[in-house]
Amino acid sequence: MATAMAPTSVERAVLEEEFRWLLHDEVHAVLRQLQDILKEASLRFTLPGSGMEGPAKQENFILGSSGTDQVKGVLTLQGDALSQADVNLKMPRNNQLLHFAFREDKQWKLQQIQDARNHVSQAIYLLNNRDESYQFRTGAEVLKLMDAVMLQLTRARNRLTTPATLTLPEIAASGLTRMFTPALPSDLLVNVYINLNKLCLTVYQLHALQPNSTKNFRPAGGSVLHSPGAMFEWGSQRLEVSHVHKVESVIPWLNDALVFFTVSLQLCQQLKDKISVFSSYWSYRPF
Amino acid sequence: MRSSLQAVALWGKKAPLHSITTIMITDDQQTIVTGSQEGQLCLWSLSPELKISAKELLFGHSASVICVAKARDFSKERYVVSAAENGEMCVWNVTNGQCVEKATLPYRHTAICYYHCSFRMTGEGWLLCCGEYQDILIIDAKTLVLVHTFTSSQSPDWISCMCIVHSMRIQEDSLLVVSVTGELKVWDLSSSINSIQEKQGVYEKESKFLDSLNCRTIRFCTYTERLLLVVFSRCWKVYDYCDFSLLRTEVSRGGQLFAGGEVLAAHRIIIWTEDGHSYIYQLLNSGLSKSIYPADGRVLRETIYPHLLCSASVQENKSLPCVMGYMNERKEPFYKVLFSGEVSGRITLWHIPDVPVTKFDGSPGEITITTTWTLQDNFDKQHIMSQSIIDYFSGFKDGAGTVVVTSSVYVPSLDKLVCGCEDGNIIITQALSAAKAGLLEGGSLLKDSLPHKVLKGHHQSVISLLYPHSLSSKLDQSWLVSGDQDSCVIMWDIFTEEILHKFFLEAGPVTSLLMPSENFRLRSNQVVFCVCGDHSVALLHLEEKRFLFCARKHLFPVKVIKWHPVENFLIVGCADDSVYIWEIETGTLERHETGERARIILNCDDSQFLKPESVLSVASETHKHKSVEQRSSSSYQFGPMPCPGLQVESSCKVADAKSFSGPFNVLPVKTKWSSIGFHILLFDLESLVELLLSTPVCDSDPSNSFYPSEILRRARSTVEKKTLTLKRNKTACASLSAEAQARPVSEALTQGESSILVLEEYEGIKRQKKLKSSKKTHPTPSRKFDANLTIDAAKLLLSCLLPWGVDKELDNLCIKHLNILKLQGPVSLGLASNEDHFSLMLPGWDVCNAEMKKDYSKVNLFSRKVLDLSNKYTSTLPNQAGTPGGLENNCDALYESNTITYLLRRLFLVNKLVNMPVDVAYGTNSSFRMDSVHNKVKSPGNDILHILSFYSYLRNGKNESHLPEADVSLLKLISCWRDQSVQVTEAIQAVLLAEVQQHMKTLRKTPVNSEPGSMNENGNCQMMQIQPKMECTEELELQCITDSLSLQTSASLVKHDSDSNSANFQDTEDMPDRCVVKESESPGEPMHRSWIAKMCFCKLC
Repeated sequence: MATAMAPTSVERAVLEEEFRWLLHDEVHAVLRQLQDILKEASLRFTLPGSGMEGPAKQENFILGSSGTDQVKGVLTLQGDALSQADVNLKMPRNNQLLHFAFREDKQWKLQQIQDARNHVSQAIYLLNNRDESYQFRTGAEVLKLMDAVMLQLTRARNRLTTPATLTLPEIAASGLTRMFTPALPSDLLVNVYINLNKLCLTVYQLHALQPNSTKNFRPAGGSVLHSPGAMFEWGSQRLEVSHVHKVESVIPWLNDALVFFTVSLQLCQQLKDKISVFSSYWSYRPF
Repeated sequence: MRSSLQAVALWGKKAPLHSITTIMITDDQQTIVTGSQEGQLCLWSLSPELKISAKELLFGHSASVICVAKARDFSKERYVVSAAENGEMCVWNVTNGQCVEKATLPYRHTAICYYHCSFRMTGEGWLLCCGEYQDILIIDAKTLVLVHTFTSSQSPDWISCMCIVHSMRIQEDSLLVVSVTGELKVWDLSSSINSIQEKQGVYEKESKFLDSLNCRTIRFCTYTERLLLVVFSRCWKVYDYCDFSLLRTEVSRGGQLFAGGEVLAAHRIIIWTEDGHSYIYQLLNSGLSKSIYPADGRVLRETIYPHLLCSASVQENKSLPCVMGYMNERKEPFYKVLFSGEVSGRITLWHIPDVPVTKFDGSPGEITITTTWTLQDNFDKQHIMSQSIIDYFSGFKDGAGTVVVTSSVYVPSLDKLVCGCEDGNIIITQALSAAKAGLLEGGSLLKDSLPHKVLKGHHQSVISLLYPHSLSSKLDQSWLVSGDQDSCVIMWDIFTEEILHKFFLEAGPVTSLLMPSENFRLRSNQVVFCVCGDHSVALLHLEEKRFLFCARKHLFPVKVIKWHPVENFLIVGCADDSVYIWEIETGTLERHETGERARIILNCDDSQFLKPESVLSVASETHKHKSVEQRSSSSYQFGPMPCPGLQVESSCKVADAKSFSGPFNVLPVKTKWSSIGFHILLFDLESLVELLLSTPVCDSDPSNSFYPSEILRRARSTVEKKTLTLKRNKTACASLSAEAQARPVSEALTQGESSILVLEEYEGIKRQKKLKSSKKTHPTPSRKFDANLTIDAAKLLLSCLLPWGVDKELDNLCIKHLNILKLQGPVSLGLASNEDHFSLMLPGWDVCNAEMKKDYSKVNLFSRKVLDLSNKYTSTLPNQAGTPGGLENNCDALYESNTITYLLRRLFLVNKLVNMPVDVAYGTNSSFRMDSVHNKVKSPGNDILHILSFYSYLRNGKNESHLPEADVSLLKLISCWRDQSVQVTEAIQAVLLAEVQQHMKTLRKTPVNSEPGSMNENGNCQMMQIQPKMECTEELELQCITDSLSLQTSASLVKHDSDSNSANFQDTEDMPDRCVVKESESPGEPMHRSWIAKMCFCKLC
């Protein structure tokens, strides 16, 4: 039979030795590697306290789309906050040009970036707690640590890859619409979010539905990007999206960060897999 | 919710893993609550001498628990709240381990503070939460609904810690928080209650940047009302609360990471580290500051420097990460306690003395550990209690210790428990007998004779098992599939113990075996999916004994397996949210998707799915029914929806859900990160009663129909005896029941037809009832559970519930007459609070009750209270001396089964009553206070009780003529118990004890009455029967003239009896009042009308 017989005592001893090496040396090597990668990632997020003090540097992003150029935006990102925004909108009907900017005193936190950053720093904190001086005793301990780290990293990644699905009333109620000067006309809605490595700006043009309209009113649910025809109720008014403009720009460092997340997640999983190979040897040993 | 489910845990020798992530001591210093990474909570009792013993394990979270906090004013309700990694929150009653409220919010909390301001707030108060989201959430402590948020106007960020400051001086409560970036913020609490209730924005009052990261704790010194202690992971700082000016920074030495701190007294603080060291400092005013900054233009201020007084550290200094806390109570009976919980599951307590410990030379000393304890200590101490279900096999393993079970599956249709062991053997045994052998005294005798089979074929530990027949009845009953650590999958014939086929997958340990359920009608019905250690999925065809293919490209653990029946695709979802699509025909990878598209593919509904790491709810009858419905509506779905619960092998989940029609079940449970599991025996009271009632006469004594003369004689003698004893009985119900047991037989000769009719009617009613209550969606169990098995399960349940050793004589009588065995030790009962929340007692729970320490003779007495309750109950039983004891030992088997049925019925009733929702109960109760049987029906909340009495009616079926007055008072009593927050288990045990005592009393007396007085004709018997009843009413009249209502009832009943005797039933005016009222005033149940009539009719004619 091809099956492996129960390991002999010699084999067992070799395996034990190998496992000990894994726990004492290999795990720490991987952890160090992980820390390096995540530190690199956290630098991208310009974590406060991670070396650079003072205000985070400002980056300008010009947002555009490959199709029409009805909306143009210049957004300034400072760490996790939008510090300035300039939005130019060419109205499709009358070619009238509208221009809005952030009020001077206002900043808009991009919660996705902030959350991703915080998750990364949590992961780093978890790893920092287990430096070289720490001795792992069981495989389960390593698995638990890896699970905790992976949870943080998965969340960090998911925050960037999955923008919040908002309903139109939620967008209308959001503070972002009130940040502009001159104030946004009531038939415009603006939303900013991160999708993967891109900073996205959507502008919704609305028109009011007649109260006695024959159109079947069905409020739209939550969505990242609403399509024309989506309806909602705001105040006492029923509104419908007539035009949607979406412009975006790639944020290079977000791209890096996502790559770092993926790599470190794979590293974690590989370490877990290595530990699991020995699972039959450690699982019955108590702490 | 299936409240009638009783669970008994068989823990085994090894305690389940409990890696403590959070720990707290309740305000009354009686309970320690810990949360674990595995997702359970543990309640530990803390004695006044500071001794710890684990009491209960609470299951309910499906992810690791992050924090626990008190959820109510503890002097009123002993509730705590727990929050898990995945956003689940539960409020638990610490007293009985029940889950009071649960919710899943999309927030991950890391800390919770309970806040209640009695004079400005209505309701139960708020839970102030912080975690992986911006700012502070306010959650209602009672409903767990998000009330409002505290928002930051400046740089909103995650909050890492907080504390509530009650300042006596300014009579204002404030909330102090520190964000992850080190920003200190202050919100007004008490003065913003109104604006919160009106949902206005509440912004911070002050904020200050503290210039350190990873804040762990912030504490306010209530003694001086001035100092603020902020502990960061690398340093701790002391601030002046008035202007937040920094008074002192102390940096950690030697790479230690601080974890928290607390203010002990004025100018005295304690700081602890991640690895379990703690230091007590006296803060001294230096007064030097003026001279240090003489020329500085800044405001002069003092500085503070710490002086180490003493320290403490955990045992052996293993530098295991631990969480700590400190409890400061100034009131006398309480201690100042420092406590820590380690990842290994160890709890350590220090009693902090008021006078610092010093060495001889006056240098700081070390505080000694007061107590330390682990779950395993409980198990070691109580080895009798920590029985594993297959412990007794240790015998044949040449004394090498017990067999470690690494996987198991229960086959309800055969009552077989299949256990895969570490050594590669698979043991198949009779589950019920195995449980008995493990639990009961004298069970050791059973051990030798216990039939079991050992399947040898694996060389490494068997870690996954599958019994295909339980998923698809088309498959062969004899098949069993097992997978081991070494990637070998064996297909067995369990009857012949043959190996049908061996598959070598070469893909790492076979972690789970899954199979689509029956509803999936496709060619590949018999495909087994093997999820392997290297994240591959192997497909095996059982019938053809063929290896189809192995999907091997997955980088991350397999989370979901889906199935596209039309295109024959295998869709594998991995832990990294990517999706792999495999073509089953060719075994090629069709597509690999990530991100949004992967999510869409996984969410599309037209495919079936399986979850290798499925999670399970134990007591979820509703859930199961839901899943049954789902299955019927969408035929493709296989396996029930995954739901949060405890981590269990999926195979048993499916099996369990599929075939939960039996009254007895064994549930294997495994916790995360460990291959060691334990078993839970589940007894379904309702189904037990149902089965016992529908079968007793024919099944327990099948000889009846063949020896009519013998039975006649027996029946006659019993009836005669009754006529004698009845005179002493106020209520005739029980004896009637006994009579009814005998009647179908005695009447079979003359009225054979009608008795069949009765039975049919009875069945019809049952069905009707089932249709009516939405819970009962699945048809009456078609597969008859083996009658002997039912009786055995019932006996085992009674054994587990009885308080042994209370009365030696009683024990012996029970053993002799009920034919049940004594327990070896106390059992660990389970208590289900809803579908996926339940608690299990741990071995050694009985030690927790300090007062019970002395008498070791008493085994399994849940609490002292039980005896009192039992006495109360007995006193309410109005000299029902000869209850159903009319039956004699001359027909022991019959008597036995009848008594057991009766007892279980009682238990079921008690269980139902105590578990009744409080609001409804309140209704019934108030009506009870009116003390009127008639009013009862009028109050709206009464439906339940109404149904209940109907229910008992129905249960008793043909046995009981009416709900006797005594029963009403008993119901009243039991309802009172619920209000006094008597636990269900206590109530059940008390009632059981009282009932058993009653029964046995009659047994002791029996020699006296056993002489038959006179021989009567069969026909006369009935007359005689009514006569004593008449007499008894007259007696009643004499005794309690005031109680006219009840009198009326019974009087009319008697009337009704005589009427029905003449079979003149159309005359409704002669119906008993109670029945009329019930019919007319419960429009919801008009269906019952006819059967009530029939019932009564049949019963008495």
